[in-house]
Amino acid sequence: MNETAPEARRGAEWLRRDAERITGTLPPLMAEAERLAHTVVSGVHGRRRAGPGEAFWQFRHAVPGDTAERIDWRQSARSDALYIRQMEWESAQSVQIWVDDSLAMDYRSDLARRSKGARARLLALALSVLLVRGGERVALMGTPAARPRSGEAQLTRIATELATDAPDRPDYGAPPDDPMVRGGRAVFLSDFMGPRDEVFPALSRAAEAGVVGACVQILDPAEESFPFDGRVVFRSMGGVVDFETQRARALREAYRARLAERQATLHDMARRTGWHALIHHTTDSPRAALLWLYMAIGGLARAGG
Amino acid sequence: MLSIGSLAFLNPWLLAALAALPVLWFLLRAIPPAPRRIRFPGVRLLLGLKDPERIPERTPWWLLLLRIAALAAAILGFAEPILNPRQPMSGTGPVLIVMDGGWASAADWEARRDRLRELLDQAGRAGRPVALVALADTPPAEARLDLRPAADWQGRIDALQPRAWAPDRAGWAEWLGAAIAANSAGIDSWWLRDGLAHGTDRLDETLAGAGTLTVIDPPRTVPGLRPARLEDGLLKVDAVRAAADAAETLSVVALGNDPGGTERRLAIAEAGFAEGERLATAEFDLPLELRNRITRLAIIGRPAAGAVTLTDAAVRRRKVGLLSGAQEQEGATLVSPLHYLRKALVPTAEVIEASLADMLAASPDVLVLADIGTFAPEEREALEAWVRKGGLLLRFAGPRLARAAGETALDPLLPVRLRAGGGRTVGGTMSWGDPKTLRPFPPTSPFAGLPVPDEVTVKRQVMAQPDVELPDRIIAALEDGTPLVTSREEGEGRVVLFHVTANAEWSSLPLSGLFVQMLERLAVSARAGGPQAADLEGLIWTPELVLDGFGRPMDASALSGVPGARLAEGRPGPDAPPGLYSAGDRVVAINLLDREAELEPAADPPAGALREELGASEETGLMHWFLMAALALMALDLIAALWIGGRLGFGRRRVAATAVTLLALGLALGLPPAPAAAQEVDEETAIRATRETVLAYVVTGDAKVDRISAAGLAGLSRMLTARTAIEPGEPMAVDIERDELAFFPMLYWPISEGQRAPSPAAIARLNAYLRSGGMIVFDTRDANLGAGIGRGTPNGRILQKIAAQLDIPPLEPVPADHVLTRTFYLIQSFPGRFIEGQVWVEAAQNVEQVEGMPFRNLNDGVTPVVIGSNDWAAAWAMDSSGRPMFPVGRALGGDRQREMAWRFGINLVMHVMTGNYKSDQVHVPALLDRLGQ
Repeated sequence: MNETAPEARRGAEWLRRDAERITGTLPPLMAEAERLAHTVVSGVHGRRRAGPGEAFWQFRHAVPGDTAERIDWRQSARSDALYIRQMEWESAQSVQIWVDDSLAMDYRSDLARRSKGARARLLALALSVLLVRGGERVALMGTPAARPRSGEAQLTRIATELATDAPDRPDYGAPPDDPMVRGGRAVFLSDFMGPRDEVFPALSRAAEAGVVGACVQILDPAEESFPFDGRVVFRSMGGVVDFETQRARALREAYRARLAERQATLHDMARRTGWHALIHHTTDSPRAALLWLYMAIGGLARAGG
Repeated sequence: MLSIGSLAFLNPWLLAALAALPVLWFLLRAIPPAPRRIRFPGVRLLLGLKDPERIPERTPWWLLLLRIAALAAAILGFAEPILNPRQPMSGTGPVLIVMDGGWASAADWEARRDRLRELLDQAGRAGRPVALVALADTPPAEARLDLRPAADWQGRIDALQPRAWAPDRAGWAEWLGAAIAANSAGIDSWWLRDGLAHGTDRLDETLAGAGTLTVIDPPRTVPGLRPARLEDGLLKVDAVRAAADAAETLSVVALGNDPGGTERRLAIAEAGFAEGERLATAEFDLPLELRNRITRLAIIGRPAAGAVTLTDAAVRRRKVGLLSGAQEQEGATLVSPLHYLRKALVPTAEVIEASLADMLAASPDVLVLADIGTFAPEEREALEAWVRKGGLLLRFAGPRLARAAGETALDPLLPVRLRAGGGRTVGGTMSWGDPKTLRPFPPTSPFAGLPVPDEVTVKRQVMAQPDVELPDRIIAALEDGTPLVTSREEGEGRVVLFHVTANAEWSSLPLSGLFVQMLERLAVSARAGGPQAADLEGLIWTPELVLDGFGRPMDASALSGVPGARLAEGRPGPDAPPGLYSAGDRVVAINLLDREAELEPAADPPAGALREELGASEETGLMHWFLMAALALMALDLIAALWIGGRLGFGRRRVAATAVTLLALGLALGLPPAPAAAQEVDEETAIRATRETVLAYVVTGDAKVDRISAAGLAGLSRMLTARTAIEPGEPMAVDIERDELAFFPMLYWPISEGQRAPSPAAIARLNAYLRSGGMIVFDTRDANLGAGIGRGTPNGRILQKIAAQLDIPPLEPVPADHVLTRTFYLIQSFPGRFIEGQVWVEAAQNVEQVEGMPFRNLNDGVTPVVIGSNDWAAAWAMDSSGRPMFPVGRALGGDRQREMAWRFGINLVMHVMTGNYKSDQVHVPALLDRLGQ
C-alpha cells in the first residue's frame, strides 16, 4: 500500500466531503441504480457485448439492392453466397421517462421499507443507466433534463433531477405534456392514483404521437390490502381530499374492487395503444421490475426496428 | 359515619356523587369514540363509497356500563368504606379488662394480644382508666383494682405470656367481687375468655353486676391431650376437645431425643374426632427402643401446654432379663423362683428369659438373678462390665447364694459382703422367735413413703457382714435392723440384693403388693396408670423440666422442690407447674390433663352481657380495594375502547410474535443442560491427571486463595522439574464435593474463613483417599498467630471442624529425625511465608531410639496429613515468567527463606512419592557423612 502524505489525504477527504454535500442523496441512489442495472445487464447479455451500436445481430443473405459496402467479405468468403452483417440497435432510440413526484408517491406504510417515490426514482435511474450504456438517448420528463440525450453527462443530470424535490408538488401526479419524440419510447412510473381524467388522456396523447412505452404502477402493499379498521378519517397526502368512514374494514372489498378496476383500465388502455403495463409493489424486488422494463423497452425497440 | 350492616362509610357525603351517574350515562352515550386520522393516497378511490355497516355512533351499552362501574367504584372507594367498624367505647367509668391467660389462651395468644391492644387504644381514646387482670396469676392480697391510664398498660402487653396452668376463675371472682364493691363507679368489663370451663365459678355474674360485660370468646377452643398409655403394645394417647361439633383430625407428634441427644420428631399419628365426639385416640406403633425415647407428645399447630403431654416411666417399658439358678420343674409354678417376678414384671416390662450370655447380648436395662451363687469367669467379667456401664443388677438370695457366701473380699456383683453359713432362720419349727416383720423405710431409701403392711414376714434371710458402710447400703431392714434389701453403686450401674428368695419360701414379701411397689421404686417396672397419690406423697419432688404456656419445655433448675402431696392434688398451678419431677431415680410427669380429664365449653355469659368472637371481625378498610377495582375497570375500558376503534389490529401480530419469543426463551432456559458435556470434561480431567504426576489443590471458594494455591503449586512444579526427577504437569484444582481424588498423590488444602463444611459424601471420599495412601497438606496460612494449633485463630477452628470428621491418626510436631527432613534436602525448618508455625505429622508408633543411631527406625508409611500454618503456597507462588508473586521475609534473608520454602516443598513431594525410602538405615552412612559427623 502506498503511503499517502497526510496533506494529500486530507485534501482528498475535503474533496469528497464537498462532493457529497453538493450531490446530496445522489451518490447512494446512483450507486444503487448502477448496481441494480449491472445485475440486469449480466442477466440479459452475458459478457459478449460489443460496443454501442455495434452489437452483432445476425447474418443474412445479400439481396439485390444491398450496397457493396454492407457485405461482410470475411463471412462471404467461406461460402458461395454473399452475407450482410446486421447489427442490433443500429440507431439510438429516445426514451422519455416520467417519474411521478407527487406527494402521493411519498406514502409509505409500516408494511414497506421504501416509499413509492423512492422505488420509482431507483427504477428510473437504473433504467437510464442501462439505456445510456446501450447508447440510447434518455430524457426525464417534466424536468430540465427533458431533452433526450445520451452519455454520462445526461445520466448525471437525470440523477441530480431525481435527487432534488421540486417545490409545490401536487397531491396526485399526471404525466406532463412535454413534446413527445415521434417514434421514441416512453416509460411512466407512477401510482396512477390521480383523477382518471388527468392520467389517461396523457397516455392517449403519447400514443397519438407515435410513442410506445411501458406504464409501471407502483403501489404500497397497504394500498393493495387496505389493512384498516374502525372509525377513520382518510386524508390524501397533501390534505386536499378527506374521506370519513365509520368502519374501515367494511370498505375493504369495495376499495379493492375499485383498485382492480383502475388497474384493469390501465392494462386495457395500454393494450389498446400498444403499451405495456406492470403492477409493482414496493415490497417486491426492484430487479424484477427493472428486467421487465428493460425487456419491454428492448422488445419494443426490436419490434420497431 | 354511615353504617349499613357490617359496612360503614367514613365520608358518606361523597356517596351523593352516585346520584350523578345517570347524568353521566346520558353524557357518555352521546359522545362517540374519536376517529383516527390516517394519511392515505388511496383515498381518492374511496370517494363516494357508502359505509355498508355503520358503527353505532353511540358508545355501546356494555362499555358504558364498564365506565359507570369504574366511576361508581371510585366514588365508593373515596367514601372510605370500612368492614366491621368498631363501635367506639362509650361511657366514662373505669374499664376492667379480664383475660384468662392460662394454657388454653396460648394457641391464639397473638390474636388476644391484638384485641387487647385495640381495647386499650379505644379506652385511651375515650380517656377511661383501665385495670387489667390475668386470671392465671395468683390474686394479690389487697382487693383493689389497679386503675391506670391505658397508655401505661400498652407497654406491658408485650411482656404478657400465657401461663401453663388453668386460670383461677373462682379465686378471682371472689377477689374481683371485693374490689368492685370497693369502687363506687360502675365498671364496664371486657373478658377475653379461652372458651373452656375451668371448674365452676361466678365470675361472669360478678362482672355483669358491675356494669356492661363483653365476653370475647375464641372461634374455636384448644384441644387437649390426656397422658399417654400403653395398650396392646401400642402407645395410645387420647385427645379431647370441648366443642363436639364437626369432624376434625388432629396430628399428634411424638418428640424425643435421638441417640445424639438432639430432639427430633419420632413419629406422627392422627387423632380423628368423629362428628359429635369429644374424644379421639391417636395410636403409635413403634419399636420398643424408639418408644422409650419419647419424651413428650404434642398436637401439631396448637401451641398450648394442655395440648402437650409429657411421658414418664409409665409408658416406658424396660427390658428385664430373668435368670434363675434352680431348674424349673414343670407344674411347680408357685414355687418357681421366677413366678412372682414374672407376675409382677410381665404387664409392665419387656421380659426376656435366656442364658446369661444371650441376655447380655440383648443389652437389657435390668437383670434379675434369682438365687445364683457363682459365675463362670467370662460370665462374671461380662456381667461386671455391663453393670459398670449402667445396668441394674437385681439379685435375690436363695440356697445357692447362701452357700456361696462368705468371701472375705467384696464381690462386685453383690452390694454387701455376706456372712458364711447359709443365713439365719427365724420363727421356724427348729428355731427361736417369731418371723420378723419390716421396719418402716428410712427417708433416704428409695422405698420411703411406702406403707409397710403387717402381713409381710420374713422367716429366713442371708446375713450381711457387719461393716462400716453397711448401714448406708441398707434400703430396707427388718424390725431387728438386719438388712432385707441392700444396694450399692457399681460404676454407673447399681447392684441390689434382696436378702430373701424371689418366691414365697423364705418370706411372704413376694406375695404382697409391697413387692410390686418396691420393684417399681427400683425403676425395674412402672405401674400402668401413672403415679398414684400414695406414690407421690411423702417425698419432695424436684422439677427437672417444666412447660411454659405454649407447651414448650423450659429449664426448671431455678425452681424449688414440690411436696408430693401437692403433686398428688393433680391441679397444676403456679406452685406446681406441669413438667417432669424427680425424686431419687424416679421421674414422674405431671400433666395438665389427667387420665379422665374432659374439656368443657365455657358457660354462656349471663343475659345482658355482650358476646364477641375473637379475631372474627377485625376492622378492615376497603378503600384500596374499591380504588383498585376502579383502576382495573378503567384499564379494561382503555383496551375495549382501542378494540372498538379498531386500533388493536396492527398490534396483534406483534403481540403474537412477542409471546412466541418469550415462550421460546422460556423453553430454552428451562431445558436441562446436556449431561454428556459434563461427562466428557470428567474424562478429560482424568486423563490429564493421570498422564503425568499432577499436584492438586482443594478449591476453597475464595477466588484469591485459589489463585495463590494454583500459582504456588505451579511454582513448586517448576522447581521440582528444575531440580529433581519429578516433573509434574500443570497443577489442577480439585472440588472435593465433585472430583475424583484418587488420581492425585497429594492435595494442598489452604484453609480460609470462607471454607464451607464438606458434605458427608465428601468426607467419606476424603477418608477413602487418606486410607488408600493419599496425603493432604492443610495450611491455615496464619502462622497460628497467638495460639496453638486449633485454638485461637479462626482458620484453625475451621480446620479443627473439618479434621474432626476425617480419619486422621494421632499427630505430633515433626520430630527432628522425621524423614521429611531428609527426603531430598537436609532441612530442619519448614518455612513458607511465615517461619514460626509448627508443622504436625502422624505420630510415630512404637519406635525406640537405638544406641549409636542418629535416627530412629521409622519404616512405616507416609504420613496421611501434614498440618501447618506457614502459608507455603504464597512462598512458592510464581507468575508465568517465573518471578515470585508475593514478598517473603526481608531483603536477602527473604530470598533465603523462599529457597527454604521451596526445599520444604520438594522434600514434601519427595516424601509423598518415595515414602520412607530415605529412612532406610542403608543411607545412614552417607547422610552422616554429609552431616559431618
